[in-house]
Amino acid sequence: MSWPPMLMHIRIKTKDTRFGLWLPLFLLFPVVLVIFIILSPFILIGIIITWDRGWGKLALFSLRAAFVACWSLRGLKVDVRRPGECVSISII
Amino acid sequence: MSDNRKKILEMLEQSKISADEAYRLLSAVDDGEKGSKDSAGEGQSRTETGIKSKSKYLRVTVTPGDKYENPERADRVNVRVPMSLIRAGIKLTSLIPQEALDKANDALKEKGINFDVRSIKSGDIEELIDALGDMQVDVETSKGECVKVFVE
Repeated sequence: MSWPPMLMHIRIKTKDTRFGLWLPLFLLFPVVLVIFIILSPFILIGIIITWDRGWGKLALFSLRAAFVACWSLRGLKVDVRRPGECVSISII
Repeated sequence: MSDNRKKILEMLEQSKISADEAYRLLSAVDDGEKGSKDSAGEGQSRTETGIKSKSKYLRVTVTPGDKYENPERADRVNVRVPMSLIRAGIKLTSLIPQEALDKANDALKEKGINFDVRSIKSGDIEELIDALGDMQVDVETSKGECVKVFVE
């Protein structure tokens, strides 16, 4: 079973500044869920209205794809270094 | 300690390979040893499928190679993308509108590639992703930078 991303670590280091941030993504899930529940009737109405034109189906697939993509972010790591400078983003 | 392991550690000590490469090589040696233990039963094919199913990440690394004049001042890039994210990304292509796909087809034809992007089915995508497990791109630039793309 795959787990959703829990933490995001951003680290930026330049010659003058040093910046590190641990972002607890798991704390954002309840907020996102509440927002989604509040907006879901409007999304549903929008999908039903635009279903005949083909946009409704597209919106439904887009929502699902966005959810799957966010869920799959765990393990992503980008690390770029040069002398004296470093940018690192990792999702755990 | 086996000869292979010793050689890898010596290469790491002599800075011929990076710690990342040493880790990959040691993992490969581990897999090879496990495979040889299993070979009494189903043989090599089982090990190969095992390696394929283990593919979890697409890695892109840029490191200074042997020819690089000043390795300490070199840029280093290390990107690790989960295969599940690639799978999700490729599936997003089904959301691309027909007009955009037509434009992509036209652009491909202009370049001499006669391929219909619309003909890609989800089953093909799965096969494509599975086949990525065997892929390894290794490029050394004229400046001495070593670019590697592989799946681990």
